[in-house]
Amino acid sequence: MTSSTDKATQDQTQGVFYAIAYAIATMFVVGAYATGSLDNFVQYAGLAPILESWQLKDYTELLAFILIVLLGSTVALLGGQTSIIMAVGTVGSFFALTLNQHPLIQYLTLAAVLFAIGLYGMVVSRNAVRVLMSIELMLNAVNINLVAFARYVDPVQVKGQLFAIFVITVAAAEAAVGLAIVLSIYRNTSTVDMERFNLLKW
Amino acid sequence: MEQFEMLKTWAETNVESVMFYILATISIPLAYGVILDRAIIRSGFILIGVFGSICGFFLLLQAQFLALAQLMIYAVGITLVIVIALMLTNPRMEKAQLSTASPANQLGAFMVAVGLFMTIYLSVRPENWTLSSEPLDTANVEVLGRALTTDYSLPFEFASVLLLAALIGAVMLAKADKPPKPGEDDYEYSVVDDGPTAGDARPEKEPVASGR
Amino acid sequence: MRNGAEILKLGTLTITWWCIIFGAVWIACYLVGVALPMMLSSYDSDMARMTAETLKALTPILSVLVFIPINAMFMVLIERRALAIFTVRLGPNRVGPDGYLQTAADAVKLLFKEDITPHGADAFMFTLAPIVFFAPSIFGAMPLLAAVTNYHELFQIVNLPTGIFFILAASSVPVVGIVMGGWASNNKYSLVGGLRSAAQAISYEIPLVLSLVTICLLAGSLDVVQIAKQQSGGILNWNILGGGALRGLDAALALKFSNSAASLQQLSAMSPEQVIKSSYVEPTMAALGLAAGQESMATIIAVIAVLVLIGATFIAYGLYMTGACAEINRIPFDLPEAESELVSGYNTEYSGIKFAIFFLAEFTNLFIVASIAAVMFLGGGDCPVPAWLGNALGGPQLASVINQVLNPLIQIKLVDPPTLFAAIWVILKVYSIVFFAVLIRGTLPRFRIDQLMDFGWKRLIPLSLIVFLLVVFAREFVNVHVGS
Repeated sequence: MTSSTDKATQDQTQGVFYAIAYAIATMFVVGAYATGSLDNFVQYAGLAPILESWQLKDYTELLAFILIVLLGSTVALLGGQTSIIMAVGTVGSFFALTLNQHPLIQYLTLAAVLFAIGLYGMVVSRNAVRVLMSIELMLNAVNINLVAFARYVDPVQVKGQLFAIFVITVAAAEAAVGLAIVLSIYRNTSTVDMERFNLLKW
Repeated sequence: MEQFEMLKTWAETNVESVMFYILATISIPLAYGVILDRAIIRSGFILIGVFGSICGFFLLLQAQFLALAQLMIYAVGITLVIVIALMLTNPRMEKAQLSTASPANQLGAFMVAVGLFMTIYLSVRPENWTLSSEPLDTANVEVLGRALTTDYSLPFEFASVLLLAALIGAVMLAKADKPPKPGEDDYEYSVVDDGPTAGDARPEKEPVASGR
Repeated sequence: MRNGAEILKLGTLTITWWCIIFGAVWIACYLVGVALPMMLSSYDSDMARMTAETLKALTPILSVLVFIPINAMFMVLIERRALAIFTVRLGPNRVGPDGYLQTAADAVKLLFKEDITPHGADAFMFTLAPIVFFAPSIFGAMPLLAAVTNYHELFQIVNLPTGIFFILAASSVPVVGIVMGGWASNNKYSLVGGLRSAAQAISYEIPLVLSLVTICLLAGSLDVVQIAKQQSGGILNWNILGGGALRGLDAALALKFSNSAASLQQLSAMSPEQVIKSSYVEPTMAALGLAAGQESMATIIAVIAVLVLIGATFIAYGLYMTGACAEINRIPFDLPEAESELVSGYNTEYSGIKFAIFFLAEFTNLFIVASIAAVMFLGGGDCPVPAWLGNALGGPQLASVINQVLNPLIQIKLVDPPTLFAAIWVILKVYSIVFFAVLIRGTLPRFRIDQLMDFGWKRLIPLSLIVFLLVVFAREFVNVHVGS
């Protein structure tokens, strides 16, 4: 028993080590992109005409993004800690994709990242309350969009902020009713596992 | 001295984007924490952190009112209700409570999420909007209030009706069916849930119903 | 008679500690905000100018950081001594002269105690909880500083256009810390304490916010500095007495009692009766669309509206104090830390410096809710005596004497008279409210949890909504602060 625990701990340590190595690699990629080295490399290697012929405007950004994702999947396959790798990879690719953009696009990209994380959590998690939390996360991503538009597109009438107020209201109502439903389901079935809410299945 | 001046001008022009990236570096890992943390109650508390950093984004976007409303309603109100619901539905405070979905499902979900993100990212271009460079008035509470009571008064009223309906509905749903128990007078104050550490069921229901 | 001696001792203790607290804050602010920048201004370089500006900008937060620990020590001591008087005991009287240093010794003891994390607890959350509980009170205090210092330039920078909303948002965060600490302690009493606290804070925040919204409606602003400024000019202008509904009466009385012709001319050319008419009868007639002959009816309606406003704001003050007591877990709403049921609830497992932070934050929160009450309802740094009465009683002579005495200090900018007098009034008001909270603690028993919820949801929230509606309608008939 001790040996198995030891092995698990060792695996975990190794996973964290891989993840940290991946974080450093990501930092290098982002740094290379931010300082322009990546761009120079692409020009030097003769890749630029090919990428341009695909009508890709911001190809260097996408190249950095693909590099980060490929590195991440490799490290994950080697046995790194998936959650840390996902977080580091997302932050790194977020940096690479937005560093040279207009602030509005930065905010929209951030909202897209949070929305995608919320979507992933909603699909993956089996606890009903966690599904509700993911939905709240997605609603907040939408709010960021609205407020960013109010700041950069419509700064006089700030309609985006108004819509955000309504979204907050609806989110509050949704949380109240959703949690009440979860509570009453829990009271009847003693579980909050999404896979077991299948009484109507036959 | 010259370097100092340069630093100063750089800071003045870039402080907003530096703050933005700091907040983004905080909020994205925290969002992952919400959906991946093994201890589900801790992920409830992490959600407060995510909402707090989103409040920071709103402050950066000069939406003071919304930032503070975000802090009061989301970070404290809704999330506390979620945490209480987590404590009620997880009475033994297990660390690793439920297994997540199967690896195939996880991979599918990940692909869908990345695909969604790439679609959004490739379709948002600054050319799509007429960007306005007018400065936003920091004291825009008045604009908001005026709009809510004139142009948007009908949606505002509908929102209040929705909140009332949600309040009543949540109370009705969360209310325990009380079977008549002869000889037990203080049933009203006893623990309704079968969880041993669930606490009083009465007080927690009502904040849920408050819809904050 | 023995009680009288004890009360005298309490008074001396209070004044001594006030001198210590505010002397320390004063000297710190003077050194950082005035003296050092003045010294630096003799060097003509960008670096020196930058440093001076930074020092000036840091003064508000420095003053708060100096103030909080000393003030918490004083408040614990005064609470224990006052409770001892209420229950006819002696209270702490051994450490230092007559027990003055009791809480200082307690603080030293707490700092040197072993810091224990219980077995099976979530260590990170356990450490984070006191910080989350304490940090918002520092930020929440900032706009209040601008409101109580009477436009002192050093403290103006912390003012916000959404001041009171900011304070409310900041003061709603600590409950997260309580729930976090309760859960992370791995102790069922702590958990129940945390859950109770969450339910209680969320329910009682609604009457608290609604009562303050009522006042904001009367003031037409969310800016605490502006709200404090509107109430200047004596007790009749304070928000607790109708939110400016008595301003016309105040002006009329000023005209009637002012004896010098110069001040008469300065005020207005109207007679007192005309002032009354223009500020009470005419708005009512305009609001109701009455014809010229119906003055008597308008007068009756105006009087009713003024009485309703005074009653409503007075009830709003009561609602605010009740909600605030529940928000900061004071007796009679201290269910989260009920010693007899929950062995002090969420902080059962805490010891050492983390417990000290919880303790500090609790008393800081008490001070902050008291100062919100002082700014929003009791006129901030305003002297309760109206100017016309003060002039009749010899106020100007007293002021000139004080100015002469303080003149050397004003010269070196150690004293700024408007700020000084505002600060003295604020200190008196705030600590009176604190003392009132202690009195309530000595008087009332604790609620039961179901009574607490019933009281909150079935009594306080409907009452606060009624008060709000009354004010909405009554303010149409009288000139209130809005637009002044």
